[in-house]
Amino acid sequence: MQNSLTSRRNFLKKMAAAAAMTAAASMFPGIIFASEQEANLPKGANLDWKKGPCRFCGVGCGILVGVDQGKAVAVKGDPNCEVNKGLLCVKGYHQIMCTQAKDRLTHALVKKNGRYVQTPIDEALDLVANKMKETITKHGKDSVAMYTSGQSTIPEGYVASKLMKGAIGTNNLDCNARLCMASAVAGFLTTFGADEPMGCYEDIDHADYFITWGNNMAEMHPVLFSRMLEQKNRRGAKIIDFATRTTRSSTASNKSILFEPQTDLAVANAICYEIINNGWVNKSFVENHVNFSKGLTNMGYGLEDKFKFSDKPTKIDFESYKKFLEDYTPEKVAKYSKVSVKDIKYLAAIYGDPNKKVVSYWCMGMNQHTRGTWINNLVYNIHLLTGKISQPGNGPFSLTGQPSACGTAREVGTFTHKLPKGVVTNEKHRRLAAKIWNVPYENIPAKPTYHATEMFRAVDRGDIKFIWTQVTNPLVSLPKTSRYRPGMEKESCFVVVSDVFPTPTSDVADVILPASWHIEKSGLYGNSERRTQHWDKMVDGPGETTPDAWMTIEVAKRMGYGDLFPYSEENHVEEIYNEYRQFHEGAKHGMAPLEVLKEESGAIWPYVDGKSTQWRFNAKYDPACSNDKDFHFYGKPDGKAVIWQRPYEPAAESPDTEYPFWLNTGRVIEHWHTGSMTRRIPVLHKAMPAAYVEFHPDDAKKLGVRNGEKIKVSSRRGSCILPASINERGLPTRGQVFVPFFDENMLINDVTLDAFCPISKEPDYKKCAVKVEKA
Amino acid sequence: MPIKSYLAHPQEGQKEVLMEALSKIDNCEVIPAENKNLLIVVTDTESQTDDEKVKGSIEAIESLKLLAMVSGFNTPKNN
Amino acid sequence: MKKRLGIISLFVILFIAFITIWNYSYQVGLEEAYIPIENSNPVYAIPSESGVFKRSQYALDYENMPVDANHQRSLTTYYKNRAYYGAPPSIPHPVDEHQNMGGQSCLKCHENGGFTEKFQAYAPVTPHPELVNCKQCHVEQNTQTLFKGGDYASVMAPKAGINNALLGSPPVIPHQIQLRENCLSCHVGPSAPKEIRVSHPERVNCRQCHVLNNKKTTDIGSFIRAEK
Repeated sequence: MQNSLTSRRNFLKKMAAAAAMTAAASMFPGIIFASEQEANLPKGANLDWKKGPCRFCGVGCGILVGVDQGKAVAVKGDPNCEVNKGLLCVKGYHQIMCTQAKDRLTHALVKKNGRYVQTPIDEALDLVANKMKETITKHGKDSVAMYTSGQSTIPEGYVASKLMKGAIGTNNLDCNARLCMASAVAGFLTTFGADEPMGCYEDIDHADYFITWGNNMAEMHPVLFSRMLEQKNRRGAKIIDFATRTTRSSTASNKSILFEPQTDLAVANAICYEIINNGWVNKSFVENHVNFSKGLTNMGYGLEDKFKFSDKPTKIDFESYKKFLEDYTPEKVAKYSKVSVKDIKYLAAIYGDPNKKVVSYWCMGMNQHTRGTWINNLVYNIHLLTGKISQPGNGPFSLTGQPSACGTAREVGTFTHKLPKGVVTNEKHRRLAAKIWNVPYENIPAKPTYHATEMFRAVDRGDIKFIWTQVTNPLVSLPKTSRYRPGMEKESCFVVVSDVFPTPTSDVADVILPASWHIEKSGLYGNSERRTQHWDKMVDGPGETTPDAWMTIEVAKRMGYGDLFPYSEENHVEEIYNEYRQFHEGAKHGMAPLEVLKEESGAIWPYVDGKSTQWRFNAKYDPACSNDKDFHFYGKPDGKAVIWQRPYEPAAESPDTEYPFWLNTGRVIEHWHTGSMTRRIPVLHKAMPAAYVEFHPDDAKKLGVRNGEKIKVSSRRGSCILPASINERGLPTRGQVFVPFFDENMLINDVTLDAFCPISKEPDYKKCAVKVEKA
Repeated sequence: MPIKSYLAHPQEGQKEVLMEALSKIDNCEVIPAENKNLLIVVTDTESQTDDEKVKGSIEAIESLKLLAMVSGFNTPKNN
Repeated sequence: MKKRLGIISLFVILFIAFITIWNYSYQVGLEEAYIPIENSNPVYAIPSESGVFKRSQYALDYENMPVDANHQRSLTTYYKNRAYYGAPPSIPHPVDEHQNMGGQSCLKCHENGGFTEKFQAYAPVTPHPELVNCKQCHVEQNTQTLFKGGDYASVMAPKAGINNALLGSPPVIPHQIQLRENCLSCHVGPSAPKEIRVSHPERVNCRQCHVLNNKKTTDIGSFIRAEK
């Protein structure tokens, strides 16, 4: 209680000041008193406060790190950052503590005769470069691969892409954002032809309704959720939680609506049916700005190796779309979605009311979905039919999980099919990349190779003989690790792992490279709202820890590509960013110059004429609009967004008599993804020491399961033993169990299924069939 | 021992000047708004007479356009 | 004649309408009955989660409440009527109605708090107003003497002001929260002990920043990787 009543006089003074601020805020909405929030900090500490983005999620809060004699000792929210306005969550406030963990990787480790031997970093990098070169000579370019992360900084992603696609000439580069954002990307590209949300977080200050689709923002995007709660309390905005599990968010919402897993597809269509049936369509918007299309159906689930699928879009007209929706009347959908007709009509009425501003938020519930692209399309349909898009307080908003899933994975394009601008299959895009990278155009192959899941299948098959993972922990985070762990342990593949801490992935490495943690290097991230954020190195890392970008550059030099990587060790971040910016020049994606990013707490792209563009595609805000209409969806050649006809199709695996429960997996507020960092923060570990399996109380009663009892969760792939949790953190619907995936000692991903969305190739971690029994 | 808070509106473009003048007065704390032309002043004095003196010297500042009291507390001496 | 014809035709119309409607409703009655499954969906309380947001509708009022320095509680007075840390407090004042279990007569003051002239104090707010058998756990103190003396353990309550891991970081919750899931009932308002009164009641989602540190009965210790 640092800030509470240590001294009554001080408190009274604060009260007096607070009263004045409240009065001021009523006269000048949006007034900021930054110095007061700073003044609240403990006195006596002579700290240097250094600005940066938070490490732990896609919201991208601004943090200030207190540095005392070269050591990070405190964290506070940056009051000048528009994202979080001085507030953080428990992970953010304690993030720096992980760097001081005892088992930090401080030196390179090379496996010799089954034991890890500490090796000078130069020698280890020599070994990595030689091994990579040798593998290419022996087995060809496509036998080496790199697997990076949505937590890689922009320069880290950029040099990885340049090395693999430009220098070596293979598209064997993918990243863990495939596991979290690929469906969002595919959704954006199919509907709008341009990736990333059109709106921004300021929508929260304007919306009347927040509808959250299958996510638990109170735990996963807590700072944004707090901004929503503030609007709920002060302005009477309403939060409606639409999910398969009752969570902290549900309990804080005005209304919680539960649905049967996978039926979100049908409910979204039913909402569109109601909107059309009741005449709530915004006719002029639809006529001017929307096309209708359908794609292939019965796409499959990608369960078999080397699965191939490409969609074939066909234009349709409004009438046939309307006809298609007749299968999705609320009455029909209510039967299998377990959402009442009343609730479906209620949701439709909110979207349909022209006087209410609505923002839809979603994250993994819709993305980690075997029809992830479809459900993204379907929610866009609702907003397009009603014209509630690209305006303050009105719009669909796809949240990201990782701090630079947008900035690095999506914008730099560390996916097999992507280039920093555009895709490898497009000759113009390849030529642009070759020009900026200064490599022959023929170097960049035109065919995508392995997406994440397929990449590790290729490792298992022996097709990939060398893999380098950076900033990620796939052997905890991949689906069906029960296959991919033995795959990576095979002698056939040489495994290099760069990380900050030992993980189950580094356990199978041949070389472990010690990486700098985020504040120990300079870098740039890009958050969910297209905000690019820069930070300067704040403290020195221990031992021989090295920034990931620099390790990639060192390996590239050792492989003979020195000319292409002429960066200096001190300034490589700035040099790389300035080179990268050239890719996005122009009104559609211009990025803010470094000087601006150093000064401000991030800037939103398109950054045009010294200004962030907060709402894309809206002529009032977006200078790239050029069709002389109110809206211009310039991602598509004809300037129109697409309403997709997408049906309901069942999940890849549904509960049956042998495996009668749905298994849903996810996160908790205390831990970040696989927990390799947050579990080393004592406050967070003590609050959430181990994973658990959550039951609905009725199911628990039927099975005679009590809280804390050891339960074996098994599927056709594998099994995992965890303590039961009843009525604690969350409440799955009947017939469903939930397990968080952060715990490397209870690997739930040994149980999950590696089915994925055929369009986006993103796996579905939220649905597979399991049985549960007392262990 | 009165504690009072005020909103101080500076003359056009004189926010910095007013800020400086206010911070020279004893028993008086200033919190400037970051993005608006407004300052918050909190006074903390030993007695009613001191309080009036401080208020007098604040009101005498030329760069001040308007001073509006928002809240006041009084605490007994033994605290 | 005309009049009569008019009346007859009116009845004929009414009769035809009756036949049609009766027929229609008979036909509809033949259709297979479909009762839409109203989502029974009783939102089960997740006490530790939902409790946080209880009373949050008053958060803005709390924010604007002045401090009444002459009548505030301190942690010392807070623990005075608890046998040990976490024990249900005894009732430190006489009660009017001895016959009932508490319920409404306790909630009159303890549901929302407020100043009581008689006791010159603010009534503490209960974190669990739904449990109305108050006297099951909270009993009056009718005598100051003991039946037999004993070597009773003293209150080893967690201290305020020492629970943050880093300079300025949000303190962890140093106490168990069973039956006390509602943070606002004890940490805000005029009845909150002054040491633990929170400076930002409007934040509402308390556990975004403040997490438990002793979920289990023994210290959890640091994270240690499982031996391979």
